[in-house]
Amino acid sequence: MEATLTGKMDNTVAGVANYDVLVIGAGIAGEESALKLADMGFRVLLIEKEPSIGGKMILLSKVFPTLDCAACITTPKVSETARHPNITLLTMTEADSIVKEADNRFSVVLKKKPRYVVENDCTGCQECETVCPMVVKDQYQFDLVARKAIYIPFNIANPRVALIDIENCTLCGACEQKCPSNCIDFTQKEEQINVTVKSVVVATGFKLFDPISIDRYGYGKYKNVITSMQMERELAPTRPFNHILRPSDGKIPEKIAYIFCTGSRDHTVGNPICSQVCCMYSTKQAQLLMGALPMADISLYYINIRAFGKGFNEFYLQAKDMGASYVKGKIASVSEKENGNLLLRYEDVATGKVTESEHDLVVLSVGLLANPAITKVFKNATLEMDALKYIKQTNLLQSPALTSIKGVFVAGTATAPMDIPDTIMSAGAAAAETSGYLNQWS
Amino acid sequence: MTKKRIGVYVCHCGGNISDYVDIEKVKEAVKDEANVYLLKNTLFACADSSQKEMVADIQAGELDAIVVASCSPKLHVPTFRGVAERAGMNPYNYVQVNIREQGSWAHSDNHIGATEKAILLVKAGIARASESEALTSSKIPAANVVAVIGAGVGGMRSAIALADMGSEVYLIEKEKNAGGHVANYGPLFTTDITGYELAANLLAEVKKRANIKLFTNAELVEKKGSIGNFDIQVKTDRETLPLHVGAFVINTGFDSYKPAPGEYGYGEAANVMTLPEFKKLIDNSSDKLIFNGKTIKKIAYIYCVGSRQDDEGDNKYCSRFCCTAAIHSSIQASKKFKNITNLHFNRGIRTYGKQELLYEESSKNGDIYLQFSLKSIPEISQKGGKTFVKVKDILTAGKEVETEADLVVLVTGMVPRENDLLVKQLKIPVGRDHFFNEIHMKLRPVETVIDGVLIAGTCQSPKNILETMNSSMAAAAKINSVLTKGEITLEPTLAKLNPALCTWCGKCAEMCPFDAIVQTEYDGRIVAKINEANCKGCGMCTPVCPTDAIDLAGFTNAQIEGMIDALAEN
Amino acid sequence: MATNVQPKILVFSTEKISDPALDLAGLLKKHYPVTIYTISVPCSSGIKPRWIMRAFEKGFSGVFIAADGTDCSYGESCGEKTSQIVTATHQLMRDKGLKPSQLKMAAICSVCAEPVVKHLTNFMKELEKMQS
Repeated sequence: MEATLTGKMDNTVAGVANYDVLVIGAGIAGEESALKLADMGFRVLLIEKEPSIGGKMILLSKVFPTLDCAACITTPKVSETARHPNITLLTMTEADSIVKEADNRFSVVLKKKPRYVVENDCTGCQECETVCPMVVKDQYQFDLVARKAIYIPFNIANPRVALIDIENCTLCGACEQKCPSNCIDFTQKEEQINVTVKSVVVATGFKLFDPISIDRYGYGKYKNVITSMQMERELAPTRPFNHILRPSDGKIPEKIAYIFCTGSRDHTVGNPICSQVCCMYSTKQAQLLMGALPMADISLYYINIRAFGKGFNEFYLQAKDMGASYVKGKIASVSEKENGNLLLRYEDVATGKVTESEHDLVVLSVGLLANPAITKVFKNATLEMDALKYIKQTNLLQSPALTSIKGVFVAGTATAPMDIPDTIMSAGAAAAETSGYLNQWS
Repeated sequence: MTKKRIGVYVCHCGGNISDYVDIEKVKEAVKDEANVYLLKNTLFACADSSQKEMVADIQAGELDAIVVASCSPKLHVPTFRGVAERAGMNPYNYVQVNIREQGSWAHSDNHIGATEKAILLVKAGIARASESEALTSSKIPAANVVAVIGAGVGGMRSAIALADMGSEVYLIEKEKNAGGHVANYGPLFTTDITGYELAANLLAEVKKRANIKLFTNAELVEKKGSIGNFDIQVKTDRETLPLHVGAFVINTGFDSYKPAPGEYGYGEAANVMTLPEFKKLIDNSSDKLIFNGKTIKKIAYIYCVGSRQDDEGDNKYCSRFCCTAAIHSSIQASKKFKNITNLHFNRGIRTYGKQELLYEESSKNGDIYLQFSLKSIPEISQKGGKTFVKVKDILTAGKEVETEADLVVLVTGMVPRENDLLVKQLKIPVGRDHFFNEIHMKLRPVETVIDGVLIAGTCQSPKNILETMNSSMAAAAKINSVLTKGEITLEPTLAKLNPALCTWCGKCAEMCPFDAIVQTEYDGRIVAKINEANCKGCGMCTPVCPTDAIDLAGFTNAQIEGMIDALAEN
Repeated sequence: MATNVQPKILVFSTEKISDPALDLAGLLKKHYPVTIYTISVPCSSGIKPRWIMRAFEKGFSGVFIAADGTDCSYGESCGEKTSQIVTATHQLMRDKGLKPSQLKMAAICSVCAEPVVKHLTNFMKELEKMQS
């Protein structure tokens, strides 16, 4: 058990490691909270269920409205987090149970899933990938391309260490033979790690809406209807293809449509609120597409343009100037033509007429949803949710990081949809709140 | 030129550079420059794996210096200085070359030119690194004391957070009372608490904490020093106090846009009022809504007044909070009074996030929404003692609609507060929208380019109360994490004086605003000496020396002229 | 001076103020002529005349000082001191037969992307005319 905890162990109490804070989730919110608390001198245990930290942000192409590349601004934070002397980082790790014993003591049972690769020895050479015979859909490229059963999640993953998708592995051992560092270990098992912490920060992020539940948009049926996250990957520097392609035939699209509010502002799918970031990320993608495909027409079908933040309105006007066509009208349905093109049916509010338009690629601007699984982990206290299943902020305006459990704080999109700067500020607030809380007992 | 082993890294920046600059050409052109020992290109120089590689390269190659050609130094200087330190190299032997903001992006219309410029910039970086010297930072004690300017709800929250984290706080408020705008608000949106209650709660928390000193009727009138050690003067109505602080958190808030006379009839007709005026009216009315002796039934709201002035006007930004605030007020009006009809003349409703539920509620209440564009804004007219609002409604394909209204509410946005004295004192940078400017919108939203001056709340940009709280607490967390260490590391790029050349003319001492030049004895004569504790590294003393005896470390004659020679090459 | 090569301008910018303005110009894709190169220093009042003269000697046609103006965090005297440097350098330039208009100075704020691009574009036009 001790071997996997690479941070300071000098506070072991009866064989159990002791930390000031457990931060659950190492996306941008978890990283920011962890970094601030670590800078203040607290001992932080940061856990992440994925094999790499960086959350959703590290998978994005560029960010609005500055068009900085997402990787450029995430990697320094990721890097700082991974090497901070006060942060112990565990990937592939989830909290299985958290029991509150006192206001400043929580007993936590962590479960660390096996990589079947010895982390400290893997050099990230990727030789194993070249010999693995199993080809599987790549979830980090949102199923646009495939990966092997043994793989490094993505180019800029941190830690840049391989793992085996054991469910799709035939145990042929080809990787074990090829590995120059001899670090493949099929005998690894799930580990249980017990720790005690004085406080918890929940930074578990959001879920992306899966448009399969909107039958009339044809996602999953029509090949050329993709999600915005798939388009994000096509645009990212660590992209799956060398160009923007459409899935059915690999053609470079010329008439791209965006359908806003897919899964948001929609009672029929159980999400009546606005996801806050989609108008802007769609505008960003439109700008990037106009740069990459100068001959393409981009049409964005919207209800309202939520361009409310600093620089947002200017960014939206810039996209219009660049030639993006914003059409007010909610898309009612999508149908497919024989050549893979799509027909979008909607009421064009400007003319008041029901219209159909043809496009060769449709991007669904999917919304953000709550990710409430963490509430089940707290065993003897209730981590309350609000009506939309986000973590409830019990003193919303006065102390936004407080939850229904004393000593447990919340940061980022675990509370509500928000963009990157708002997430960073929410995480800073959670760090301030946690620090003030911990200072009570020192 | 000094002989050195230099590692040069040219970054693709994920395409941001490599899409415009031919990286291979750059490498080809610089590979034979003097002192280039190692030359690599990277997809993302700042990525962890690249950083690890650099550390390994420095150690294996025993490199004396590295040059990273990538983005603006504003972004990653600390990152790569960290790389140098971890590799055992002095961080001041690392040189950053900007071939993105001042290369590929500035010249994205000219790939060939951008490549040629990148080549010369990298050569200049190599020249600079060839003459770089190891510099050691000194540390000075830092006061864990923060001056929070503004005691609105944001400022009070910053103060409380700082106090709980162990900082001493001076909370400085210009007005007679703390609480700012919010103290005058009744019901607030997305919560049950009222503005008065929120402000009162926060003030009670402030008063509970012995390490927050609240000054009202107080203003900052003087400031000297730098992060960790500022000496300020605060003028109250009774005295002027000298205080010593380590940093500032600016929470000076916003002002409400005041419509120009005649704008939608404001100032001409009594029943045309701003949203804050309307909110006050409904908060202070119970049972019946009466204005100027008339019972109010029909209320017209005109949105985006003073914001989103796309064509003319200074305020191009969206004020973010007002769609929600206006709709919330209309819901309040419907709840409290009978027979209210709300008509919302808007340019697209921006009730983002969970606030969308308020838009839904108001629609269910029977509120009517009409949308206009800047090409045909609503016309307000007075006919026979009645007020009419006319508009071409986008939602009904441009149909012209006219309605009577008892009240016209102009949904006014936020404007930056007039703060000339404070801006002058602290040199707070101001953005294109006239709000205070953060270093980097995405990465560093609460810091400014001035070390020790942080900005939070609406003085940075329009936002609602929840966002102000997050921003204020984030600023508190940031500055506390710096000051709590008890010491600040100074930049060692200070002036260096060669006493052998000095003839003590006194010109440098005259120039220095920081008392950093003193007299000393050397070789039997009086010469100048730099007092490093006071030296700020500005370089003001360097051009005036008649014998050119002073150089600024990191910007020496050898370095600058080496760069000039490289850039001048054809 | 060669007549078929675009003139070169050397810009001295300040790390905290005018260099961010140049960065912003790049961020906004506001293009300016490509033979313009920047050296960033802490404060424009620390620019040595000998550097400016070296630039001319080595082939630069113009030097532009993107000064701090009243924003300078080192104090109010910055603008005045920078002007004094320009005056002193003008004298040295006259001695070498250079035109004073080949050295320019303007106060550039940290978000003055458009003004700085305008200054530089106009300066380049001026130098091109001088050259032909």
